[in-house]
Amino acid sequence: MSQGRRLTGPKKYLAVVLAVLFILLIWQTAAWSLPDFLMPDIPVVLARLFQSVQEQEFLDGLLGSMSRLGTGYGFAMLFGIGFGLIGGVLFFFRETLRTAIIILQSIPSIAWVPLFLIVMGFGNLPIIVVVALGAFFPMALSVMNATESVQPVHVSAARVMGASRWQLLKRVYLPAVMPELITGAQLAFGNAWRALISAEMLIGFGEGLGRSLAYSGEIADMVGVMTNILVIAILATLIDQVILEKFKQRVLRYQYV
Amino acid sequence: MQLKFEDIKKRFGSLEVIQDFSTEVADGELVALVGPSGCGKSTLLHLAAGLEKPSEGRVLADGKMITAPNPQRTLVFQEHALYPWLTLKANVAMALELQNVSKKQAFAEAEGWLERVSLKGFEHYYPHQVSGGMRQRTALARAFMVKPQILLLDEPFGALDALTRMALQDVLQELIAEHKPSVMLVTHDVDEALYLADRILVFSQRPARVLKEFRFEHCERSHDQSGVAQQRKEILSLLGIKTEVHA
Repeated sequence: MSQGRRLTGPKKYLAVVLAVLFILLIWQTAAWSLPDFLMPDIPVVLARLFQSVQEQEFLDGLLGSMSRLGTGYGFAMLFGIGFGLIGGVLFFFRETLRTAIIILQSIPSIAWVPLFLIVMGFGNLPIIVVVALGAFFPMALSVMNATESVQPVHVSAARVMGASRWQLLKRVYLPAVMPELITGAQLAFGNAWRALISAEMLIGFGEGLGRSLAYSGEIADMVGVMTNILVIAILATLIDQVILEKFKQRVLRYQYV
Repeated sequence: MQLKFEDIKKRFGSLEVIQDFSTEVADGELVALVGPSGCGKSTLLHLAAGLEKPSEGRVLADGKMITAPNPQRTLVFQEHALYPWLTLKANVAMALELQNVSKKQAFAEAEGWLERVSLKGFEHYYPHQVSGGMRQRTALARAFMVKPQILLLDEPFGALDALTRMALQDVLQELIAEHKPSVMLVTHDVDEALYLADRILVFSQRPARVLKEFRFEHCERSHDQSGVAQQRKEILSLLGIKTEVHA
């Protein structure tokens, strides 16, 4: 990348630190101006967080949330990439699927909860399906749209070299759509995460971040509410900015040299 | 391998691109197709590669009808045909990998071929990091590595500057002399055709038909075109280029 178009090194870290400080400042200002039972101070919440991470119950909840997220998001990635790529080579299928997705994705995935609860019963499954639905649409849509801009000469060149349909998908379409695929995966993660927390809050099944957040609210434990919100914010940022970003830089290495 | 076009017509919808084309490319012969841009020459190469089918007529390779692409018939494109996500070496190796040669062997052969086109030391560069000339050298290596019997060249050096183009014409000429494929070369560059071809077909505006055929079996060829000055003048005037001296 050419110089001067993006921040690098210490300046970039400084920007990140400033953003975090800004958020904390707003929080603390609110804590100073509101009574403690409405908005707790940052140190109190940090102390609770420190205490929580040592409790088995909290860790079980975290594990439960993460496994629901992983399952739902994993399925969404798999099917999103699969359908997106197939749509890339079958034009009629693509138009049909795209229209279906555009209609379906206008419905917030959380809106399906009442239906899923009755059809699938009270348990992990409705939450996982809601997460998967939320993530599938942006995933499939980004991959499918990207297949349209795959350069014809790249496809022709592979066909001339004797590529089979499967090889075309794997060796040409998949790497060609990778930049949009990763953007889609980050978008899908945002959706999946929101769907997970809302579904857990709404369904209130078992242990989990959303459940624990909702429960703290019900018993007016604001320290608990803020602790959960803090965990949600930290985890999502870590997954998106560390894991997905690293994955992106690794897979798209050729763009950064 | 011999390549034969029999009464080819090609239409895209109502657009008639090729109007009755027949010719034979003999084993080891190099035929150049020269003509105005958009006249349908590239379409003929796509037909020979098996990427498209003629509306009427047949294309035959050694008497067998061409229906689908086959690595025996390789096509080199003008530009952008390398994969930007692969290094030069991986780009070349892909030609063998697609034929189920093991990755290790494909990469080893690719290294040798890059060396053959003077790109030793650039194996691990990505296409966008090297010059257009180096990219086309890579494309040539990728094409020759599968030892094609028919080589189809679609303005392979059209995007290069004149000096680089001449250097690459020499690389191409050496490779052809070594491996002796039958070659069909589509080009806008009359000098390129004169320098490389055994036979030149000059095409009309679309729908394409052959205006005249030139044979160069025993001419002396050099980049200064001194041996073929007469034919050069004739081809240029067929293409509507003025050849009188201006003051």
